[in-house]
Amino acid sequence: MSRNGPLALAYHALFVTFMLAPILVVCFVAFTPEGYLSFPTDRWSLRWFYAIGRYPEFIAAFWRSLWLGALSSAIAVALSVPAALAIARYRFRGREAMTALFMSPLMIPHVVLGVAFLRFFTQIGLGGTFTGLVLSHIVIVLPFALRLTLASAVGMDRAIEHAAISLGASDATVLRRITLPLVLPGLVSGWALAFINSFDEVTMTVFIAAPGTETLPVRMFLYIQDNIDPLVTSVSACVIAITVLALVALDRAYGLERLLVGRSGDGR
Amino acid sequence: MTFLALEGLGKRFGSHVAVDGLTLGVEKGEFVSLLGPSGCGKTTTLQMIAGFVEPSAGAIRLEGRDLLAVKPAKRGLGIVFQSYALFPHMTVAENVAFGLEMQGVAADERRRRVGETLELVGLAAFSGRFPRQLSGGQQQRVALARALVIRPRILLLDEPLSNLDAKLREEMQIELRQIQRTLGTTTILVTHDQAEAMALSDRLVVMNQGRAEQVGPPHVVYERPATPFVASFLGRTNLVAGETVRPEKIVFAATGLAGKVRTRIFQGNHWLYQVETASGLLTVIRQNSGEAMPGEGEQVHLAWGKA
Ligand SMILES: Nc1ncnc2c1ncn2[C@@H]1O[C@H](COP(=O)(O)OP(=O)(O)OP(=O)(O)O)[C@@H](O)[C@H]1O
Ligand SMILES: [Mg+2]
Repeated sequence: MSRNGPLALAYHALFVTFMLAPILVVCFVAFTPEGYLSFPTDRWSLRWFYAIGRYPEFIAAFWRSLWLGALSSAIAVALSVPAALAIARYRFRGREAMTALFMSPLMIPHVVLGVAFLRFFTQIGLGGTFTGLVLSHIVIVLPFALRLTLASAVGMDRAIEHAAISLGASDATVLRRITLPLVLPGLVSGWALAFINSFDEVTMTVFIAAPGTETLPVRMFLYIQDNIDPLVTSVSACVIAITVLALVALDRAYGLERLLVGRSGDGR
Repeated sequence: MTFLALEGLGKRFGSHVAVDGLTLGVEKGEFVSLLGPSGCGKTTTLQMIAGFVEPSAGAIRLEGRDLLAVKPAKRGLGIVFQSYALFPHMTVAENVAFGLEMQGVAADERRRRVGETLELVGLAAFSGRFPRQLSGGQQQRVALARALVIRPRILLLDEPLSNLDAKLREEMQIELRQIQRTLGTTTILVTHDQAEAMALSDRLVVMNQGRAEQVGPPHVVYERPATPFVASFLGRTNLVAGETVRPEKIVFAATGLAGKVRTRIFQGNHWLYQVETASGLLTVIRQNSGEAMPGEGEQVHLAWGKA
């Protein structure tokens, strides 16, 4: 049995090319000295990387995106835990409705969400605030957090908790010593996926963010509307480099497959 | 007074009756098995004793006190689950120590008792391992140690040996019986394996469709099954003129029921016969004593002592 026939190999090669080519091109362009996007080129320069230093709003937007992603994902995960445990264990009235409600942001176009949040936040006085950003991002990353949390909650043998109870553990102890540690891999993966989605979000955020609360993608989006120079490519290259470093670090610490697939690594 | 009493215990799931008016008394130190086909309500019964399923009828008393009023965490029962349900993120020693920790036993004392109990189940060398690093039989013994170490008032075992291969299962049966004898812990075992139930128990409860069909010592239940269901569930039986006759009780004799050997199968320590008679096809089991036995197609006479 040959798993990698010529066709499969060609397919994989094409797939990887399509995935990686744009990223590589962006990285190449980041090192060009020209004042416009030029590719290919044979001259190299770090000019556009130094240029980032002259735009502190990019740096600020980067940190804001990090915080926004970290915070909204953490809150989304915290909300997911009780929801996932309830959905996984109990057949209660409104269970389907609750699942559908939590998953619904996946179905609504982000443009629509953006317009809706813009109106809503303006009405309640949260227009253009970081709080507004966090709230809206919680909504869009919740499905991702819930998916993976739910997967690990469903996969858990209830008998394990029953065993702890029969040994005299209180409900709180069971939650802290047994349930949470066992769903932790799902929580970590859910958080990571939520973070990536938050960090990446531009369609909705561009409506909500104001000067001073722009996220990195929004800042870049606004920049290329007025400028044609390769600054955004050098910013992108930095983000790519940080992402790669983070993935390597995570892989060392956890194992990437386990993290992204949300599989618990202790092979029960 | 009866140590543990199930009084008219019942459980229905919607319109389905899983356990139907089960009444049973268990004495202190006794080993009782709930035996019956899949879906007859054994696990449900055990879970009601453990407190994880709420009965829809009846009462459970432990030393005369209403057990249903006690929270599952306060019942002080040791449970070995069919899936073992070990804590996968804790080592063997931590698994076993968990119950003692919940009881507030001091660290020194805890360590000593964990060591003792692991010694008892033959796993002293494995205390630092995680459950995933153990074989099925070893995991099963950890589950047993975890349940025993808290000195439970009752040990509840839900098909604890069903995941093991035949040889290991037999070893574990012997070990389980020895441990239970040594500690004198009142034990209720759930199983659908009749050999296991008969090998281990002081008394059997043969269950069918949520009811106890017969309760008694294994040899009594086997020799004098109260209902056709019990007779057919416990080993091979012949039904001759409304009477059940165990295949190993039938001998070849000079006179008796005439028949013709249809098949003869050699099974090492015994021969298995199918004999055509006027009362239908009868199964006969004879010990292999090395003597010549009737062959296929031969005319024979069958006799058995009246029970
Ligand atoms: N939570 C539940 N909801 C609905 N029906 C249930 C539930 N638990 C058990 N039952 C039903 O009750 C009956 C008895 O189940 P139980 O698990 O006690 O059987 P068992 O004797 O342990 O069988 P097995 O040998 O297969 O483990 C079965 O028909 C089962 O389908
Ligand atoms: Mg069962």
